Amino acid sequence: MIRERSSRKWELWAFLAPALVVVVIFYVVPLILTVYTSFTPLRNWNIQRYATRLIGFYNYQKLFHAIANDPSVRAVFLTTAVFVGCTLLVNVLGGLILALLTFFVDRKTNSIASTIWLLPRMSPIAVYGLVWYYFFHGSGVGTLNSLFLRLGFIDKPIAWGQAFIPYGPWSVIIFVNGLVGVSFGMIVLSSAIKSIPGEFVIAARVDGATDWQICRRVLIPQIKWHIMYVTTWQLLSLLTSYAHTYLLVSWRLVNKSYGTPWALYVYDLAFTGVFDQGLAAAAGTLLVLVGGLLGLITLRILGFGRLMTEPRGDI
Amino acid sequence: MSLGDVEVRSKSRQIFYSIILIALSVPVIVAFSMLVLSSFANQMVTNFDFSKVRFTFKNWQLLFQGRIAITGGLRENIFLYLINTAIVAFGVAIVTTLVGTLSGYAISRIRFRGRRFVLLMMLMLHALPGSILIVGVYFLYRLWMPTSLNALRYFSFFYVIVARAALEVPLSVWLMKGFFDLLPWEVEWSALVDGASRLKTWAKIMMPLIKPGVVAILIFGFLAGWQDIIYVRTFLIDKTLATFIESNLESEMAYMPLLAAAATLYLLPTIFFYISSQKLLFKVYAGGIRR
Repeated sequence: MIRERSSRKWELWAFLAPALVVVVIFYVVPLILTVYTSFTPLRNWNIQRYATRLIGFYNYQKLFHAIANDPSVRAVFLTTAVFVGCTLLVNVLGGLILALLTFFVDRKTNSIASTIWLLPRMSPIAVYGLVWYYFFHGSGVGTLNSLFLRLGFIDKPIAWGQAFIPYGPWSVIIFVNGLVGVSFGMIVLSSAIKSIPGEFVIAARVDGATDWQICRRVLIPQIKWHIMYVTTWQLLSLLTSYAHTYLLVSWRLVNKSYGTPWALYVYDLAFTGVFDQGLAAAAGTLLVLVGGLLGLITLRILGFGRLMTEPRGDI
Repeated sequence: MSLGDVEVRSKSRQIFYSIILIALSVPVIVAFSMLVLSSFANQMVTNFDFSKVRFTFKNWQLLFQGRIAITGGLRENIFLYLINTAIVAFGVAIVTTLVGTLSGYAISRIRFRGRRFVLLMMLMLHALPGSILIVGVYFLYRLWMPTSLNALRYFSFFYVIVARAALEVPLSVWLMKGFFDLLPWEVEWSALVDGASRLKTWAKIMMPLIKPGVVAILIFGFLAGWQDIIYVRTFLIDKTLATFIESNLESEMAYMPLLAAAATLYLLPTIFFYISSQKLLFKVYAGGIRR
């Protein structure tokens, strides 16, 4: 009996160990190292020289001082708020509109549209970046410029991501990132809509409801939880992702200060340009704190129980 | 009863919605197709100006010869970059799938103390991606880094694969748990009653039953590794297609249509997997949410 027990335990570990190892090595340890680094003057990855020195909250003071006084850091701060807020709106509303539209069209159009909209999310980031690099390019080669030139809206090409600061770069990064996230909302919400019993819609139609009324009164109320799910999830992912924006900034398509959200700022501090890992770690720790807090609130709102089911009839 | 059975929708309205839907998708289609088209032209066609454009396979030829400019100069081994990209992508796919299927099974089927905690942790980590811990992840990389360059090259491949896969692990565990949840218990019971161990049951009974889920997560992992740029450029010593495109766009000498060809080549596997397994991927990209 006892032997059986221990072999069962051993088996359980065999199943869980790989995931636990990955989590410890790539989440727990890096978290500790990031927080630790934020208290050191680490620069240029010179670990031997700097990583053992502790300088207290100096990096945090420097960071807050920069937010208060350095215009470019303040721009990053502001950009983060605008970027996350607006892109979230684009993601959720865009996803909802697409999901509702696909509900009312025939299956073929539905599948074509879904295919197109998943493309931004799936394509290699470098390819996706290149696509929009040419779309917003500051010369006559740029798609947007050539279109506007032809229509007579402008008389010479405009570098959209560098002009009209801050609105130019903001629009570009919101547009480019917005398209990536739309598919998530679209897929989740349209699968939620599909799972609504058809009788509801049929009953509404028989009663003479218009499509708009069906959306407002039948579909949207039924998928409230899913809208919430998409919103909170996208909020976290926008706050923490930076790959798509990274290329736009590094290719100078958008203005550096007004094209850099906080997560990218962390990466830039550590890996490009200044190589100040201590400060980067401090900025990263702040992001983890904000993200972690939002994550907890998210799980609370969504209701953890709804996301989990117990294993049944286990032996 | 599905909605399709009831013909209460007006045809004209449906066409109207279809037009709106397609119109909304136009920018994406145009932007992508202009890039693909440019790869077959002697200059970028992103401005719709076809008056001076000649269509040619020259870019593709130059690309495979590894010449990034029309005239002489540097040579780059595009095949090597292609292989490097594929190694990372396959590596990420395998690690993600292995970890996901093992832990997903345990969380779905075995009752143990801390199960709720493990699942909560996965959910939390999925919500808060590890990419923001990259300073710490790189710190660890520096600590473990071997000194000889050759060893470092192999190590960097290994590290980038596992580190990139780690980002997808929470989601894959979560998804596989969901797939396992849907399987009937009866088959598993009979195997366990007959004296098979859990591991054996997992390998022989459950994995074959869950094949579509495994395929989905494999493709998902592959695409995640394939599309990556940040981890590859941070950790990997060798170049991939992503870093090739990144660095060549920065150097202004690059011949643009050639980069378009490189990008199109880079995009091909994505398109292939997408067309071949659209339905499965929909599930994955929806984040494994229950209906």
